[in-house]
Amino acid sequence: MNAIEVKNLKKSFGDFQAVQDATFSANAGEVLSLLGPNGAGKSTTISMLSGLLTPTGGDASIMGHSVTKEPELAKASLGVVPQDIALYPDLSARENLVFWGKMYGLRGAALKSRVDEVLEIIGLTDRQKDHVGKFSGGMKRRVNIGAALLHKPDVIIMDEPTVGIDPQSRRHILDNVKELNRQGMTVLYTTHYMEEAAELSNHIAIMDKGRVIAYGSHDELIKMVGQETRIDVTLNAEAEKILDAWRATEGVARIDSLDGKITALVDDSNRVLPRLFDAASKHGVRITSVDIQEPNLETVFLHLTGRALRD
Amino acid sequence: MRILDLALKDLSQMLRDKRSLFFIVVMPIIFTLFMGFAFRGISQSDEEVDNRIPLALVDPQPDSRLNKMFFTRLDSSGAIKVMVMNENEAMDAFRKGEVAGVLVIPDGFSEQVEAGNEAQLNLIAETSSSEGQSIYQLLRVPISQLMSAVEIARISADLQSNPAEYSPAIELAWSKWDENSKLSLVSVEQAATEKSSDWTGGNPYNQASPGILVQFAIFGLITSAQILVQERKTRTLQRLMTTAMKPWEIVAGHLLAMFTLTFLQTILLVVFGQLALNVNYMREPLGTLFVCVALGLWVASMGLLIGVIAKVDEQVILFSMIAMFLFSALGGLWFPLEAAGGAFAAIGKAMPSAWAMNGLQNILIRGLGLESVWMAVGMLSAYALGFFLLAVWRFGKMDV
Repeated sequence: MNAIEVKNLKKSFGDFQAVQDATFSANAGEVLSLLGPNGAGKSTTISMLSGLLTPTGGDASIMGHSVTKEPELAKASLGVVPQDIALYPDLSARENLVFWGKMYGLRGAALKSRVDEVLEIIGLTDRQKDHVGKFSGGMKRRVNIGAALLHKPDVIIMDEPTVGIDPQSRRHILDNVKELNRQGMTVLYTTHYMEEAAELSNHIAIMDKGRVIAYGSHDELIKMVGQETRIDVTLNAEAEKILDAWRATEGVARIDSLDGKITALVDDSNRVLPRLFDAASKHGVRITSVDIQEPNLETVFLHLTGRALRD
Repeated sequence: MRILDLALKDLSQMLRDKRSLFFIVVMPIIFTLFMGFAFRGISQSDEEVDNRIPLALVDPQPDSRLNKMFFTRLDSSGAIKVMVMNENEAMDAFRKGEVAGVLVIPDGFSEQVEAGNEAQLNLIAETSSSEGQSIYQLLRVPISQLMSAVEIARISADLQSNPAEYSPAIELAWSKWDENSKLSLVSVEQAATEKSSDWTGGNPYNQASPGILVQFAIFGLITSAQILVQERKTRTLQRLMTTAMKPWEIVAGHLLAMFTLTFLQTILLVVFGQLALNVNYMREPLGTLFVCVALGLWVASMGLLIGVIAKVDEQVILFSMIAMFLFSALGGLWFPLEAAGGAFAAIGKAMPSAWAMNGLQNILIRGLGLESVWMAVGMLSAYALGFFLLAVWRFGKMDV
C-alpha cells in the first residue's frame, strides 16, 4: 500500500485551475518532494491532502484513507507542518506542544512523555518555558515541526519548512527530516530549493502551473535531460544581437533569454564554450560573466519549462 | 474532551491578559457604582422621601381633650404630615403650595362637642386636586371615630346615670379605635408595575446593576472574539483543521470558552450586586441563574459570529462596540424603556438585551416569581440559536 496516493487531483478557484490532474504516490517510509516555483500548485495540493481544501476532481488517500470520503481517518494518520508558523505566540513552547498533543488525542503521562521527547528532537528542551513569540524564526520553525510530530503520524507533510530561516536552523530541520524518515515516517516535502529536494528525497514530483510535469527519483529525472550542462551567460549588449547565432551553434540543445541573462543547455561545455566566445566576438558582443552547472534538478526544470526554477 | 481542551486553552489566553481582566471585572463594577449614583439622584428610595400629604393645622386650644386626642391621631398617621401653624402662616403655606390643605379647629370645639352641641371643623383645600380629595378622605375617618367615641362615652354615662363615667368611657372608646386602626388586616409588600413612577423599585442599583451586567457581558465580546481572529491570523485555526477535530467541534470549543467567560463575569456581578449594593438577585435564585445562562449563550453566540466575520482585531473592537451601544441603548440597559416610550420602546423591547433586563427586573423590581423569567429565557435562547447558526454557516464559508 502506498502511504500517499494522489490520482488526477484537481482544484479550481473560479476559472483559475490551481491544480490540474496531479498524479503521484509515495511508498511507506520514503521522502517524496514536491518541487516547483512559487505558484506551481504545491501548497494547494497539500492543502487538499490535509483536508483544508476540497478537491474539485480526483482523489487522494493517506494510508489508504480517502481524504474526501474518510477525512477524519486520513487526518489521524497525518501530521502537517504548515508553511506559516501556526503556533500561539502567547503560550510557551511546552504549552503549545501540550495543547496540540491534546488536539491529536494524547492525554496524561503519554502526552507528557511525548512532549518531552519532541522537545528533545527539536532541540528546545532548555527553552520550553519561554513564550514562542519571543523565539527566533528558526526556533519557531522547529516548534512548528514539533507540533506535527506529537502523535507519531505515519505520514508527515512539510510545506516549505525552511523558508526564511538561518543556515543553522535549516540544517537542523533537514537533519530532523532525515531522522524522522529513518524512523519509518513517510514525508511529503514541498520546496522550491532543488538542493533540499536532491538531498532528502527518494522520489521527486516537479510541479509547474498546477501540473505535475515530471516524477521520478533524482537520477531518473536527471536522465531526462541527458548529460546537458547549463551555462548562464551575461553580456555587455542586448541578447538579441547574438541569440540567433548561438542557437545555430553546434552542441547547443536549447537557449533562452530572460532579463538580460542568457541560459544555454549544451552537451559538452568544454567543446561548446569556445564556439560561443567566437560567435560573440564576431558580432561585437563582450561576454561579462559565465556560470557553468553540471546537470541537476534546476536543469531538468529549465529543460521542461524553459524557465529557471526560481524565476 | 478536545472541545473542553480547546475551551480551556481559549480561557487561559483570555485570562492571561491583565487588561482584559480589568475590562471584564473592574470596569463593570466601577460603572455599576457610577450609574447607581446617577440614578440615586433621579429616583430616591422610599426611606429618604417623605410621601405624606402635608396639612397645616390651626388649633387655638391644643390642650383641650378632644383637640389633643385628634392631633395625636393625625400626627401618628402614615399618610398625613401635620404642621401646626397660626391661621396666617397656614394660609400663606397653602398659597405657596407647601401644604395640601389647612384644617382649622374652631374655638371651643372640644367643649361644644362634649356638651352635645354641633361643632364643625373647617378644611381649606383644593378639592379638584387629587391631594385635596385625598386629604378630605383621610380626615373623615379619624373625625368619625372621634365623634363615635364621644357618642359612645355619652351613652355609656347616660346608661349608668353617672356623668363621672363619661371621661373613662371616652378614653376607653378612643383607645379601642386606636388599637383597631393599628391592626394589620392587610399586609403590603413592596412591588412595582411596569408603569410605576418608581422604576428602580426603591433601589437605584436595581436598574444600574443588571444594566451594566448585560452591557459588559456584550463588551466582553472583544476579548473572546479576538481569540478567534488571532487564531486565524496566526494560522493556528488552519492547523486545527488539519487535526482529526471536526469543524463543529472547533466551533463548539470556542463557543464554550466564550460562554464560560461571559457566565463567570455575570455571576461575579450578580454576587457583587447582591452583597455590596443590596440588589436582591437571590430573591429568586433559580430565575436569576436561568437568565444568566441564557444571556451567556446569546452573548457567546454573538461573540462567535463577530469572531468569524471580523478579519482583524480592529474589526472585532468596532463590531463589539456597535453591538454594545446598539443593544445597550435600545435594550433599556441605561434607562428604562418605559421612560422612552413610543417607537423607541417598541423596537427596544424586541432586543435580546431588553429581554435579559426584563427577566432580571421581573425578579428585582416587579417582585415576580420564577415563572416570570421563562419568556425572557426563551427569547434569549432563540436569539442565541439564531446567532449560533449564522456563525456556523459563516464558519463553513470562512477562508482559513
